[in-house]
This record gives sequence, structure tokens and C-alpha cells, in this order.
Amino acid sequence: MNVLMPQLGETVEEGTVTEWFKKPGDPVEKNETLFEVETDKVTTEVPALKAGILSKILVGEGETVDVGTVLAVIASEGDEADGETDEAAPAVEPATAPEAAAPTPAPAAKVEAAPRDKEARLSPVVRKLLARHNLSADQITGSGGGGRITKQDVLAFVEGGAGVEGDAGVEGGKDGGAGSTGDFKPFTKIRKLTGDHMLRSLATSAHVTQAIEIDFHTVDAARSAHGAAWKEEQGFSLTYLPFIARAICLAIADYPNINATVEGDGLKLHRDINLAVAVDLNFEGLVAPVIRDAGLKSVADLAREINRLAGAARNGKLTPDEVTGGTYTISNNGSFGTLFTTPVINQPQVAILSVDKIGRKPVVLERDEIAVRPIGVLAQSFDHRAVDGAYAAAFLSRLREIIEGTDWSAELV
Amino acid sequence: MAKLTYREAVAAGIAQEMRRDENVVLIGEDVAAAGGVFKATVGLLDEFGPKRVRDTPIAEQAILGAAMGAAMTGMRPIAEIMFSDFLAVCWDIVANQIAKTRYMTNGQFEIPLVIRTANGGGSRFGAQHSQSVENWAMAIPGLKVVAPSTPADVKGLLAAAVRDPDPVIFFEHKALYATKGEVPDGEYVDELGKAKVLRQGSDVTIVALALMVPRALKAAELLESEHGISATVVDVRSLVPLDTQTIFAEVEKTGRLYTVEENPRLCGWGAEISSLVAEELFYDLDGPIVRITTPHIPLPAADNLEDATIPSVEKIVQTIRETAG
Repeated sequence: MNVLMPQLGETVEEGTVTEWFKKPGDPVEKNETLFEVETDKVTTEVPALKAGILSKILVGEGETVDVGTVLAVIASEGDEADGETDEAAPAVEPATAPEAAAPTPAPAAKVEAAPRDKEARLSPVVRKLLARHNLSADQITGSGGGGRITKQDVLAFVEGGAGVEGDAGVEGGKDGGAGSTGDFKPFTKIRKLTGDHMLRSLATSAHVTQAIEIDFHTVDAARSAHGAAWKEEQGFSLTYLPFIARAICLAIADYPNINATVEGDGLKLHRDINLAVAVDLNFEGLVAPVIRDAGLKSVADLAREINRLAGAARNGKLTPDEVTGGTYTISNNGSFGTLFTTPVINQPQVAILSVDKIGRKPVVLERDEIAVRPIGVLAQSFDHRAVDGAYAAAFLSRLREIIEGTDWSAELV
Repeated sequence: MAKLTYREAVAAGIAQEMRRDENVVLIGEDVAAAGGVFKATVGLLDEFGPKRVRDTPIAEQAILGAAMGAAMTGMRPIAEIMFSDFLAVCWDIVANQIAKTRYMTNGQFEIPLVIRTANGGGSRFGAQHSQSVENWAMAIPGLKVVAPSTPADVKGLLAAAVRDPDPVIFFEHKALYATKGEVPDGEYVDELGKAKVLRQGSDVTIVALALMVPRALKAAELLESEHGISATVVDVRSLVPLDTQTIFAEVEKTGRLYTVEENPRLCGWGAEISSLVAEELFYDLDGPIVRITTPHIPLPAADNLEDATIPSVEKIVQTIRETAG
């Protein structure tokens, strides 16, 4: 039986095998975890659909392939071990990381035998394979005419540094290119996808950022009154975030153009509010799980949902459908004490709000009284194609009105 | 399965179609009483009689003009041009009339016609009776071009050509008429426009046609056993339509393409395949595309000189050894 790259979510087209838990020759039980796969936003373990012997691994760790690609072959008891592979796919042992394969430097004589301008003589397919496996030509000794690196040399190197007929050796580790010192860190899949998305967003939307200062004393009052009991009952702290999320939903009801998508020559207004909440994964990446139908949820429901999704995100347990379909995004950077952040819009949405530090500050109240209040800046980037500054500012003003003017204690009960 | 020679397979394919459809007729020089100058139509006169199997004068324009007229009135003629070199004599009818009539009459006339002709060298017949002119035919839009390498393909592709609604030029190879092979019994029809992968290898892909196919296969054996080079061999079989899907798939696997062509080098069929591969598969190539062809010269009649010009097994092995690394 062929093991295929699974379809993890409707819009997912490819995945990266991050780890194999079995080696060729190992017995595999049905439903036993076979490998781990990473897609756009999700990392998940995939179980075997059938018992048997793992006879071949065709896609090694770190390789990215399309959904439906044959990754490995499980032979049933009694099957010929090679009986069911697709001939077109070359049998590749799990790819070893170049660093791991590199400890033995090739003899110096070999290195000198290679032509100086190796790069200039690389064939198209060799260039493609080097790029795909993140290798440089310097790492591989060619076995072809005049020391040329052949397709087979690269494939052999990827298989485990053995080389064609023992000819291909390895020279040192790799670095960031000529004249550079220091380590080169290849992008993880999520880093690369995040980068691509951000650049695409900046190229797509006309970003404008506005910020508004908000007095959170009503929220603070509710947190003081109910926070301890909440933590006792729910097992996690009651933060400012669910109150802000609730206020956003209420403000969107008055300013629906903020909860929309630019489509061609018009603005598609979303009936539902699906709030994406950006979660940092210990500096290893960013993911924005989505609270469905946030507009129908209470502060307490929002708090529980945010807590659940953030936990799932940090443990890599989000399902693909939990990271798609957002209509507005909140990014929370408050824990590091930043004053405000200008966030990049999460496409295809038209606005994103950054929550930064909410801290105690002296403020001047009506009748020139001075008081100490929890103050924070909410900064929203919006797409100027969708709305103008006055509309976005009116939305922020309404948001402040709701946050400052609501009796949140009553909302919590 | 019966073991037939290539020439017996020609007669078997024609007979199969003549039995099936009384509109199928055969005309040409010496095709009836003599059973063909290459003995490829032996027995057809006896079975089908002089009305359906006709000898003609030595007049190629008359043969193809009559065949085209018959095709326009609903018959399915098979016309033989004894040597493919003689297509030059009747090229106006082939290139300007037969190939274009469907289009110029907006489909009011179909030309379901097969032109069989003996092609290629190796028989010491000299410059006017030894040419491989499949690339001439390939250059004319409106013609289908087929060139089988085995008896089974002769029977199956000839039947497919007869049943095709458009004109097909069917190149039989003179040097293959005596070769033998298994041929399916009973009614057997192949498909035009499908290449065949005869051998799978990992290092290079050799694409060949007609007489060059057995030579490429022999060369592949020697490359493997003596030089450790593993070759795929693809028999193109049909130049128009061309099975690019199979060719691309096999070139992609090895990253190297060699064409082995008997036609003279300039504008040979391999040039077209090379250009398609360069365009479509550039990033999968692991080295230059190499064409192994007859040089651009009129073929000599002397044994040693003819052998030196047409790609031989040794020439194929040597070229691939020198360039495959």
C-alpha cells in the first residue's frame, strides 16, 4: 500500500515531511504514528492506515511535496517488499541533513580535481535539485566529464552523502556565501510562508495605521472583581484580550466595512465576524487561529475560546480549518511593554488591530482632575482601498466608547 | 501469436483491412502479379482479385492522383510508392492536394488514403533509392506520418492508418523487411500517435525510429554491459501525431536525450523533438541534447561508405559514451 501526502485542510496543496517515526524494514501497526507533516500553518502526526512492514521511504525528512504524492510503501505480510511502488518515483532513503552528513572532509586531492568554475557548468536539473535540497555546489564532488556534477551525484548526496561509486565526497560545512562569516539558518516552512504572506500583503493593500489611547478602567474593574474567581473556576487568567475582542465585535456592528474583503471593484462585507488572534510560537513562528462567529459570543466564551486556540497553537494541535476564514485580526504584543505596533494586514482582510502595553498612567479627567488609570494604545492598520481614514478613525472612536463606557462586570455575570 | 516477417506483416495488415471493408483497395507498381518488388504484397491478388489489387504503369503522379480521386469518392485506397525517394516525383499531389483538400473544402471532402512506401538505406541502392525522407513528410501540415520498427507494429499501425479518416504516409523500412517478430493473430489494430518505451534505464533516454530502433536497443545493451550506462529506449513509431507525453516523461526521468535518426541531419525529426524538450523540460535536463544522425550528404552506394554514414550501433555507443558523463 502506498502512503500518500494527506490533504490537511481544503486549501492546502503541499506538505513537508518533518519526521519519520519508522525506518524501512520496521513493522507498522494500523493507526500507529508513522510520520509528522508540516503544512502552511499546521504540524500534525499521521498514523498508518494499514498494518505491515514499512518497505520504502520515498520522501525524506525536510522534503516538500504535493498532496497525494507517494511518501512511502507499506508492504502487507506476504507482499513482495517492492511490489507496490510507483516506478516513476526514485527510491530515496530519508534525507540526512547536510550538516549531519558532512563530518568527513574529502581528501584534498579530490577537491583539487574539481574544476574551478563548477557553478558555471551546472546543468539546469542540477541547479534545480541543489536549490530544492538547499545545497551548494561546493558540497558535492562531481563524477561527470571534467569533474562536472551530475544529476546522479546530487541525488546520491541527498541519499546520504555516499556519492556515485564512492566518488562524490563532501567538503566542509556550508556558509552564507562568499565573504560572509557566521551561521546560515535556512527558513522553516512557517517562516518562509509568513514572509511571503507579509510581502504579498504589503504589495496588495494600501496600508495606513492609526492609533487611539484608551482608558481601560472599566475593564480593570471587572478583572479586579472577578479575576480571582475566574482563575479558580476556569484555570487560566482573565486578560484584557476577550474584552477588547467583544468590543471589536460590537464596534464592527456599527462599522461593517471594517469586517470585509476587497473583491475586484467592490467590497465584500462579511455577515459573520471570525476573529483571528495572532499567537507567537516561542519566536519560532506566527499563527492566527480563528474564533468562529465571534460576534455571537460573550466575553466569557471569547476568553475560553482564545485560551483554547492559543494552547492548541503552541502545542501544534490546530486543525487546518481553525486557521482559515478569519475576517479581522487582533495581534497582541502587550507582554513586552511596547507602546504600539503597526501591524501588517492578514489578507484577504482589510484591517488588523494591535494591542500593546496596558499600564497605569496619570491622566487628566473631566474638570481637570488627575487620576491613575490603566491606559493602552490600540493601533489599527487598515486598507485604504476599502475605507478612508475618517471611517477607520470613527471605528476606533466607537471602539473606545464601548470599552470605556460598558459595565463589564455586568457582562461577565 | 504467429512469427511473421516484417514484409509478411505488411500483407497481413492489408489483407485484414480488405476483408473487413470492400472499399479498401491496393494500387501501385508491381503490387499485384509480382507480389511487390519487396514481396510485401504477396497473395493479395489471389485473395482479392484484379479489381481490388491493381498494378499501375510507372507513373507515381498517376498512382497518387487516382488514389486521391478514389478516396474523395468514398473508397479507402492504399497506394504504394515503391521507393520513398520517388515521393519527390509526385510531391505536388502529396503536399498541395492530398494534405490540403479537407481544409480547403471545409471538410466536404475527406481523404482516407494510405501511402505505403519503402524508406531508408543499408541496402546499397545509392543516393536515389536509399533516402530516409520521413522528415519531408513531417514538414507538411495535413499529413500523418508513421514508421514502424517491428512486424507487430506494421500490422497494427497499418490497420489504424487505413481506418484513419485522413491521409497517412506509412514508411516501411527496406532493411527491416526480412526481420521477424511475433504478430498478434486475428484482427489487430494499434493506435496512431503513441510511442513505445522498449527499455527502461536511469542514465540516458534514446529516442529512435524505424531501423534505428533495433540499433538503439543493441547499443543500449552494450552501454549497460560494457560501460555501465543505463539507457531508456523509446520507439517514436509516429512522427505526426507525436507522442510528446511519453517522450517528455522518459526524458524527465534521466535528464538526458539522444535522438537516433536515419534522415539527414538538417531539419531531421530529432531537431523538432529536441526543440520541444528544450522548451518544455529545460530545468530537468542534466546535459546537452545530442542528435545522432546521418550527415547532410547524398548517400553513397559503396558498402563501406554507406555503413560509415548511417548511424550504426558502434556510432551510437561511442557518442553516448563520450557525452553522457
